[in-house]
Amino acid sequence: MSGPYLRYAAKRLVQALAVILLAYVFTFVVVSILPGDPITNVLRDPQNGFTEDEIRQIIAAQGLDQPILVQLWTSLSHFLTGDLGLSVRSSRPVTTLIAEVLPSTLVLASSAFAVALLLAATIAYGTQFLPKRFGQGLLRGFPSLFLSVPNFVIGLVLIHVFGFQLGLFRVIAPNSFWATFFAAIALGIPISAQIAEVLIANLDHESGQDYAAVARGRGLGQFRLFAMHLLKPSSLPVVTIVALTIGELLGGSLITETVFGRTGIGSLVQRSVSTQDLPVLQAVVSLAAVVFVLVNLIADLVYPLLDPRVKLVGGPKHRPTTADDSSAGTPQAVTS
Amino acid sequence: MSLIADVHLTASRRLTSLRVPPTVAVSFVIIALVIAWSLAPGLFTSLSPVNGIPADKLLAPGTAHWFGTDHLGRDLYTRVVYGTASSVTSALIAVVIAAVTGGLIGLLSGFFGGWVDIVFARLVDVLLAIPHFLLAVIVVTAIGFDTTNAAIATGVSAVAVFARVMRSEVIKIRQATFVESSFLLGGSRWHILLRHVLPNASRSLLPLAVLQFGLSILVIASLAFLGYGDPPPASDWGLLISIGKDYLKWPWLVYAPAFLTIATVLSVNRISRWLRKTD
Repeated sequence: MSGPYLRYAAKRLVQALAVILLAYVFTFVVVSILPGDPITNVLRDPQNGFTEDEIRQIIAAQGLDQPILVQLWTSLSHFLTGDLGLSVRSSRPVTTLIAEVLPSTLVLASSAFAVALLLAATIAYGTQFLPKRFGQGLLRGFPSLFLSVPNFVIGLVLIHVFGFQLGLFRVIAPNSFWATFFAAIALGIPISAQIAEVLIANLDHESGQDYAAVARGRGLGQFRLFAMHLLKPSSLPVVTIVALTIGELLGGSLITETVFGRTGIGSLVQRSVSTQDLPVLQAVVSLAAVVFVLVNLIADLVYPLLDPRVKLVGGPKHRPTTADDSSAGTPQAVTS
Repeated sequence: MSLIADVHLTASRRLTSLRVPPTVAVSFVIIALVIAWSLAPGLFTSLSPVNGIPADKLLAPGTAHWFGTDHLGRDLYTRVVYGTASSVTSALIAVVIAAVTGGLIGLLSGFFGGWVDIVFARLVDVLLAIPHFLLAVIVVTAIGFDTTNAAIATGVSAVAVFARVMRSEVIKIRQATFVESSFLLGGSRWHILLRHVLPNASRSLLPLAVLQFGLSILVIASLAFLGYGDPPPASDWGLLISIGKDYLKWPWLVYAPAFLTIATVLSVNRISRWLRKTD
């Protein structure tokens, strides 16, 4: 742990906190300032049968009669203390609502993540062992095919083929092992494509390097070249890409849960959208941002320790101006 | 003599650089067909996309009905053809919003640096931190459910990507020699920005915009699938698949529109990849 690393870590930490706070404010602005007043619209809907008095009570309880900046301030300070407010629809704490459905989504998301990693590794490493003419082109085509298929279509095809035709799982029991397995595949496939693309590009880059040519000249076979020389340098940079796909995992679960009829964060969002339950939406979106920022923070902090070639950029005085540098001061591998 | 040889050489080089790989040619044909469908759907089918013949409901694909018929006896091929315009237009709207807004943010923050850059960089970080599909969902919730709003939401969710690419491109170009010489010749900041930086930096947005077009089709289809687009009898591709999912016993109701969505997005992605390579 050297000085530059600690300075880099501190800077990334502050940045991460700032992004989380700003994400909360941003979501708040999007859901509350845009035209219409969905909360009172829903409350006044005669179907809900609230009396004028009850509506006034709910509005006061939610603090909706306050100026918007005051509302933002109260809700932000509550958010910081872990209080996410009450659901407009059910008047239950949002944290309880989320805690109820979170385990199911975690199971789905983590299995989908495992599927994505396995599939990406199979595709990318497979290209190293298939002959150029036969099979390799096909394998290289998979990522762009996967990225072109809407993930609800993958889900529907899996349900049709494995659920209806082969009878492997029953659609009415969405939490059974096989149903979860296929839901994870549906969610994991598009994500695997992004990881595989980066892996393949890295492998191509590394195998074109001088040291690879030297190793080949020394008579190393394809397998040993791959295992001893190419595997590590091409796979390490994927850590940061993998962290970026966490957002896709959260967004995609919205659709996959709907397709497979699972309860989870996705179905909670769906229900809250249709009932315009803004506090729940606000909470889910902010939590998604928190998860995304934290995962990426960890990836950015761990990565320089894993890969000694990384040069830390973005110190306080020296503002980097290289073209491929992002303003967030991400670590960059210097391989030239 | 050498001059003629040179001219000949550049001409032939230009020809080889224009040579299109077969898969790209197929992609262009598919896209051309999709555009033709969206411009003049009436030329490709004589049936009605809204009114069906109840006696002909749920027929399997065949010579009379290429993609079969749906639960109301409507010809699915006709539905798909008429739904193309909406799917293509909304993806275009999304790309334009993302490219113009993102491009502007990237241009300003890359060119002016300093406070402008810091403020925009934080905004972009925030936009990137919220999963883009979730972002699209809350924006469309806030502005109301229809296909145009879904397109706007999709565009907003893609602003950050364009801003990032544009910013790094602008920073690269700002340091180029021709920009420096224009500055030394007395060019004002706005002159340099509009005459030199903008045209050069925008070029790199083209492959990204094409790629985003394909992605937008997918995101808008997903929003339509969840019911955040126009309600039936509209026939956006995502909505068709969504209706089809309730009739999985007649799988062509899902497979036909899904196949077209995939073919279109795959073609768009192939073209984008080719553009990036030839650039």
